[in-house]
Amino acid sequence: MTRFSIRVMIATLVIITALLLAMPLWAHHGAAAFDVTKMVTVKGTVTDFQYVKPHVQVYFDAKNDKGETEAWQGELTAPNKLSRAGWTKRTLKPGDMITVTGNPAANGAHTLWIRKLIGPDGESLQLFED
Amino acid sequence: MARGSLLWMAPAAALLFAGALDAQTAPPATPSKPAPKHDLTGVWMARNPPAIRAFAGATFTKEEPEMTPWALAKYKEAKSSNGGKYTLETTNDPVVTKCDPPGVPRVYFHPYPFEFVSTPKYMLMLYEYDHMVRRIYTDGRPIPEDPDLTWMGSSVGHWEGDTTFVVDSVGFNDKTWLDRLGHAHSTQLHVTERFRRIDMDHMQLDFIMQDPKALVKPWTATFYYELRPNWELGEISCSGDYLDFKKFEK
Repeated sequence: MTRFSIRVMIATLVIITALLLAMPLWAHHGAAAFDVTKMVTVKGTVTDFQYVKPHVQVYFDAKNDKGETEAWQGELTAPNKLSRAGWTKRTLKPGDMITVTGNPAANGAHTLWIRKLIGPDGESLQLFED
Repeated sequence: MARGSLLWMAPAAALLFAGALDAQTAPPATPSKPAPKHDLTGVWMARNPPAIRAFAGATFTKEEPEMTPWALAKYKEAKSSNGGKYTLETTNDPVVTKCDPPGVPRVYFHPYPFEFVSTPKYMLMLYEYDHMVRRIYTDGRPIPEDPDLTWMGSSVGHWEGDTTFVVDSVGFNDKTWLDRLGHAHSTQLHVTERFRRIDMDHMQLDFIMQDPKALVKPWTATFYYELRPNWELGEISCSGDYLDFKKFEK
């Protein structure tokens, strides 16, 4: 194993540990709908973007392993908070290509609590105020 | 998605967000310029150190307050929305199920900022969550002796020294909870908030809750806040925004 790949491995472990440490708070305050022990990444095309309270909704289509199109829904935080992170109701629009990483719905539905979102410009968008 | 499962997520998300900022938090964090005299103007957001954050999403202190039998019985009836798996059918949290105003001091358990606006006669407190408003009279009037009962109470305030604004509030109805866990109070609740501006960007808020019917002795707690000079409060209307999720139930 090269020195570089060891570094990458250590960095990955550090990130995973940090995420695990952050979880008890989340779990304590309710993780009914989402499996916070899992993180999945889905690449797709925005079909609808609803900048609504209490949580902003992103709808997108993604291809599964068999090449079939599946409809996904992703949730973000409140628009009040996203606005303070620089978002507007126009930040995403139908047709935009996005890559979404988040906690999947515990019941297996195609729903994600979004933790990272790479927008149409290839930039990771800020998901929280401040 | 069931609307109940959505409701808990705002606070949960905020806590998670707060968790991500752990490293830079413990107050007084990086000291800023000295606090201005008799001025709290601006938007403030909770920023507690980790030891407080461990419980501050739900309640005031790690230990239970000393409750009277009356309050303990009420507390046992409370089915909070705090434990995670709940639906609108399994909680009786009045904020979640009815969009009741949170009241004081529960309003501080919503993960949204608040703003001080100073006027000659009163200090306005604007809370982003459900655009709650409090008028804290600073014209020297005494605390009312027998006020009409309201959700947010009747408040008077005065300065102690240059940087501590002391607010006394009474006249609360007994429909609200003290916190997210469902600790009860009666109409005899008297809340004292001591807003001490530590420096330009940091504020310490000491709470003293007194209620002879509910609390055997005063319940005291301290939370911390940071100034957010670039933030603007938005609109949140619980009844309009939180109780109707049909618009994105696809």
